[in-house]
Amino acid sequence: MKQDVLDLARLQFALTAGGHFLFVALTLGLATVVAVLQTKATLGRKPLDARMVRFWGQLYVINYAVGIVTGLVMEFQFGMAWSGLTHEAGNVLGASLAVETIVAFFVESTFLGLWIFGWNRLNRWAHLAAIWIVVLTAYLSAYWILVSNGFLNHPVGYGSEHGELVLDDPLAVLTNPSALLAFGHVLAGALLTAGFFMAGVSAYHLFRRSPEWEFFGRSLRIGVFLSAPALVAAAVFGGVQFAVLDSFQPMKSAVFSGQAAEIARVQAEMVERFGPGDYVPSEAWTRGGALLMLISFALMMYLCFAGVILASFKKVVLRFRFWHLVLMAAVPLPYLAMTSGWVFRESGRQPWVVYGLLKTEDAVSDLSPGTMRLSLAVFTTVFVLLAALNAWLLTRHARRGPVESGLGHDERPAEGAAEGGAPDPADALPAPRY
Amino acid sequence: METLAIALLAFFAAGWFVLAGADIGTGMLLPRLGRSDRERRLVLASFAPFFLGNEVWLVATAGVLVGCFPALEGELLSAQVPVLVALLTGWIVRDAGLWSRGRGPGPRWRAACDGAVTCGSWAVALSWGWLLAALLTGRPYAPAAGPTGLLAALAVAALFAAHGLGFASLRLTGLPYERARRLVGHAGRPWQSFALTAVLMGGLPLWAGTALPLAERAAAPGTLALLVPALLCVTPLLVAVQAWIWHTFRHRVTRPSYL
Repeated sequence: MKQDVLDLARLQFALTAGGHFLFVALTLGLATVVAVLQTKATLGRKPLDARMVRFWGQLYVINYAVGIVTGLVMEFQFGMAWSGLTHEAGNVLGASLAVETIVAFFVESTFLGLWIFGWNRLNRWAHLAAIWIVVLTAYLSAYWILVSNGFLNHPVGYGSEHGELVLDDPLAVLTNPSALLAFGHVLAGALLTAGFFMAGVSAYHLFRRSPEWEFFGRSLRIGVFLSAPALVAAAVFGGVQFAVLDSFQPMKSAVFSGQAAEIARVQAEMVERFGPGDYVPSEAWTRGGALLMLISFALMMYLCFAGVILASFKKVVLRFRFWHLVLMAAVPLPYLAMTSGWVFRESGRQPWVVYGLLKTEDAVSDLSPGTMRLSLAVFTTVFVLLAALNAWLLTRHARRGPVESGLGHDERPAEGAAEGGAPDPADALPAPRY
Repeated sequence: METLAIALLAFFAAGWFVLAGADIGTGMLLPRLGRSDRERRLVLASFAPFFLGNEVWLVATAGVLVGCFPALEGELLSAQVPVLVALLTGWIVRDAGLWSRGRGPGPRWRAACDGAVTCGSWAVALSWGWLLAALLTGRPYAPAAGPTGLLAALAVAALFAAHGLGFASLRLTGLPYERARRLVGHAGRPWQSFALTAVLMGGLPLWAGTALPLAERAAAPGTLALLVPALLCVTPLLVAVQAWIWHTFRHRVTRPSYL
């Protein structure tokens, strides 16, 4: 019974967290790009820049809106399926989740609403400030989530009272290397995802010989020139994490390199420390995740090297159709790398949910298998539908290219003027016409 | 510190009921207030700039719960899994409908999204009634069963709808406004009905909260000593920003928005 519930709860967490992350990766990266584009548009007041803000902003908003609801499930899931975790480690873990929701997510959502609906209403500097606050609080959100995750992977700064963990050294929790390195890695990965996404979408339009060649030529170059440094940064943060793995989680390290002798040695060591039990995580998932991540990294590295050279020539950017095809096909690569890297990180620390302190099997809620099955079935269905909806809406809007309707469309001259109509000369408000 | 933590929890919970209750209630009445595609778009525009900022009050409530009362949060949420699955599903369906409405093709798609908004809003309101039934009957560790649960769900949903109706009559113009006004009746001015439902909505979670052993189950003092002051410092800023948004979009809606 208990084993059933544990497996189902783990499956649900893996599917929902993995699903949620697909949205997060693009949101975090694309928000940054949109904010930079809008800064340029606000300073330079060039129509092309303003159109770029609206087009990429529209894709960002679609992805954010569908993604936000997946995050709701994540927040409630800790209490629903993993009440042992909040019971044992809630004094540390709960605090960072609480700060994330109120200090970061609350502000982010509020300002995002202001940004979306405040187009043509707010002063352009206030509108620009809104998107930058959204970006910064999104980063802050990622940081607090990774503080929680870092604590699960490498608990620091805690004490123990009456069999419960208590917060002992908050600074140690906030500067946990496991959290900071993962934060850098995820941020770089998100920018990489946005870069590949921009390059792929732009390549589609250039491949189709769109009349918007200037718009998409420039977008493609932004995508490529963003991907290359982001890839380097992701690799550096990833590499450093590999280096500290030996001391943080020797078992994950041993399973990754596949040395049977080393695995047996760490297993014996952990039996001595924590009592009898199986301390070896699933080798297939751990090593498989790591390998898939490294393979997609290698592919992206070749693409980025070649891309930086190719993108330096304007003619190549506009006319090299084979490269366009490659860029379109490469859009899923960062997603693949991020998801498999995450599988490696999280499955490699099993059987622990808080490394060395609390086992996953002791954290799962006391639910009936029927309830857990219902919850898994409902959330899996909903998440699959949301992912499909997001992919469909993104494709639809990405293929349409920059149009007048949608995000930032001025609804004021609604009477008389058709959608996509000319700007209203009687426009009284000094608003930006994005 | 425990008292302040409880006050924070009460503040965010009551805030969600008053603010998000309005847009959820309006969503429940969407087919009643807006008969055509254009009219329904106008009804959605009445809460469009606010709903994203409104729903985070519940996220914040859950955040305060997990941060200040972690063990209680685990017990409560794991005991109420069926209710929460319904609540979250309704919430997701509603939001997906709202956000995708204007992005898909054709009138059929928009009608389907309007249906999702209405059904999702009803599901959220009914689930809250179901959850509150368990809390108010003093049995927070099992989903309310039988007629109590059903009656409470319907009563709470009716309150949400009444609250949304008051909100709609304050925000809308044109035909949807006249329909809302007729439903409110001539018992008084629209803001009076809205103020009454707002008080009731704000009171509900506070009443329900008395069923929870909050003071005894707070987090360890070390955690509260850091967390509660930090949250108390930030909260006025959050409220100020949201007030600014309400001020920016304070006028009645006459044309559709991004949604």
